[in-house]
Amino acid sequence: MSPDADIAYWIVAASMIVLLAPLASGILSALIPVRYSWLVSLTASFMLLVAVAGAVVLVSNAGLHDTRHFSTAWFTLGGNEIAAGILVDKYAAVMVLVVTIVSFLVHLYSAGYMAGDASIRRYFVMLGFFTFTMLGIVLSDNLLILFMCWELVGFSSYMLIGHWMELPEAAQASRKAYMVNRIGDLGFIAGLMIVYRNAGTFDISILASHSLQGWETTAALCFFLAIAAKSAQFPLLTWLPDAMAGPTPVSALIHAATMVAAGVFLLGRIHFLFPPDALQIVTAAGLLTALTGAGAALGHFDIKKILAYSTVSQLGLMVTALGAGAKDAAMLHLLTHAFFKAGLFLGAGAIIHTLHQSQVTTGETYDVQDIRNLGGLRKMMPVTFAVFLLCGASLSGIPMFSGFQSKEAILSHILSGQGTWGVIAAILFLLTAFLTIVYTFRLIWFVFIVEGGRQWTSIPEVPFVMRFPMIVLALASLWWIVSLNPFSFSGWFMNGSAAAFTTLVSVAVVIAALAVAFLLIHKKTEPTQVADILTSTFYLDNIFSTLVTRPVGQLSFLCVRIDRRYIDGFLHGVAYAQVTLAHVIGWIDKAIVDGIVNFVARLTSWLGAIVRTFQSGNIQMYIFWAGMGLLLLTLYIVT
Amino acid sequence: MIPIENYLVLSATLFSIGLMIVVIKRNAIAVLLGLELMLNAANINLVAFNLAHPERLDGQMFAVFVIIVAACEAAVGLAIILQAYRVFHTAAPDSISTLKES
Repeated sequence: MSPDADIAYWIVAASMIVLLAPLASGILSALIPVRYSWLVSLTASFMLLVAVAGAVVLVSNAGLHDTRHFSTAWFTLGGNEIAAGILVDKYAAVMVLVVTIVSFLVHLYSAGYMAGDASIRRYFVMLGFFTFTMLGIVLSDNLLILFMCWELVGFSSYMLIGHWMELPEAAQASRKAYMVNRIGDLGFIAGLMIVYRNAGTFDISILASHSLQGWETTAALCFFLAIAAKSAQFPLLTWLPDAMAGPTPVSALIHAATMVAAGVFLLGRIHFLFPPDALQIVTAAGLLTALTGAGAALGHFDIKKILAYSTVSQLGLMVTALGAGAKDAAMLHLLTHAFFKAGLFLGAGAIIHTLHQSQVTTGETYDVQDIRNLGGLRKMMPVTFAVFLLCGASLSGIPMFSGFQSKEAILSHILSGQGTWGVIAAILFLLTAFLTIVYTFRLIWFVFIVEGGRQWTSIPEVPFVMRFPMIVLALASLWWIVSLNPFSFSGWFMNGSAAAFTTLVSVAVVIAALAVAFLLIHKKTEPTQVADILTSTFYLDNIFSTLVTRPVGQLSFLCVRIDRRYIDGFLHGVAYAQVTLAHVIGWIDKAIVDGIVNFVARLTSWLGAIVRTFQSGNIQMYIFWAGMGLLLLTLYIVT
Repeated sequence: MIPIENYLVLSATLFSIGLMIVVIKRNAIAVLLGLELMLNAANINLVAFNLAHPERLDGQMFAVFVIIVAACEAAVGLAIILQAYRVFHTAAPDSISTLKES
């Protein structure tokens, strides 16, 4: 084989391994008998390790500079052949690596977190399936298959968010996530139809060279609706904080690698479809989301809700970057965010897990997710504290951490844009970064540092199987993941350099925000009273229920009434008419058809009765009648 | 010479009386008697018609055959009546009605 064909062979084989290993993990988890369900966490983690190895092989063969496309005919529809295949470019390769690594770490962590759960098999089945579908989105070369995986990601997240389905809020949250994603799917289907109608293909690499004949903006906005629903962009963001009702490792997976990253990844993959005016809407939505999320994170007291809103905010930043055309920067931020946010979630999970365990022994009942109930955990859980500090610093964008570099990459691109729009975007971006630092350190302060809250007797650190993924993710939040120079984002992933001005501004914002956060926190150690508008996410849910849910409810009541009165009435009338007709037919059947038959039968039996009287069994009567007959015969002959 | 009509009337009368006895009598042996009467009425006819051809003895011969058959018939009939009496404990023909289905 020539070297090129050899590489192609390795890429396809590695992609198949990467795709099928999580699926096999899911199937294996379903096949293992209930008695051996402890085995599930071992096999699932191992299969994911296989997937990580496959991803490494894939990336080392594909490299980061070429786009490789393999496709094969799938089916023919009319005269059009639909192909299926894989498309590996720089972003897909990095995404595959991120998804498999984070998913492997989450699997490993879940082995500790979910130990003893009654339905651990279902959990690991869905976790493997979730990873498989996300990898399908990443590797697919074709919008149709991408859409299928997109739907399956929605379904898996529904199953995982509602894993503890006996809890009403988990069931509610999974339904809400699914419903909101359905709205996005509507946009996706509309976009698919526009694309196929105008370009005649679903293939992404072919699509790039096709014109949509005036439908570009519509198609772009349709796809953006899908992306907004999946990646929790304004105004479809409220499902993500509610999705915190699921198990915490699932939240880590959803937030870091699989679910919400899918939207950003799709936006990057079909970025060529977006004309400038659509990109402005994308930027606006991203900035609005970033600010909304940051504001809401500042107001909440639930540890997982704060992290969820921070994800919303960071996703907003990525979408802003994509709207501004900074594809590399957005994907870099997706990469760094995946690691530090997974680390933060696993840290939060460690706290929740440990405190739940200690609640079981001490018999206390307080809400372990409310940060006002925590505090001073620094000494009890040093590893978790360190992980939280490192990942939180990365989230805040403090220099020496990966978040700083990726945010700087976005900022330098926004600042290089021309006009007032760029300036406004940059200011809002910096405001979000500022708020991010404030809420992150507020969170760390409340959970780990503030004294005088609850007196902890002895809180054990989480087991090694949970500590290991956290430590790996914390180390991956440091600067070296992007570039060896902690002040430059130019490394293996992207090139370019920030102006000194940009770096100065970022550092200034960081210092200012740290100072503000310190002052705010230090002045009042009491829980801050915050405006209701922040905790309720700017009343988005209320707006939805007023604008959508209530009118839809009234409409459905009206429909029910119409249904009952007219449609049911008509149906009942038809039914009554039919019953009446049936009675008439029944009467005819009984009286006339049966009547004739009965009459013939009765006539026959009457005739028979008459004839029977001759056959009396009395021999003398027989002789008498024979004599009479003879007489009649004689008379007949004689006369 | 007695005209032949008188023989025929006598024969018909005897036949009718015999038939009446067969139909009416409640004893099987009496019925058998009636039967003999009817056969003898027929014999009278045969002998009477033989008067028309005195040189031939066909009628007389036939009457003798009838008497022989009647003797056989009486023997068989009496045997049947005896067996029926054993089975049904009666000799009245109208109370023996097993031919009737019920």
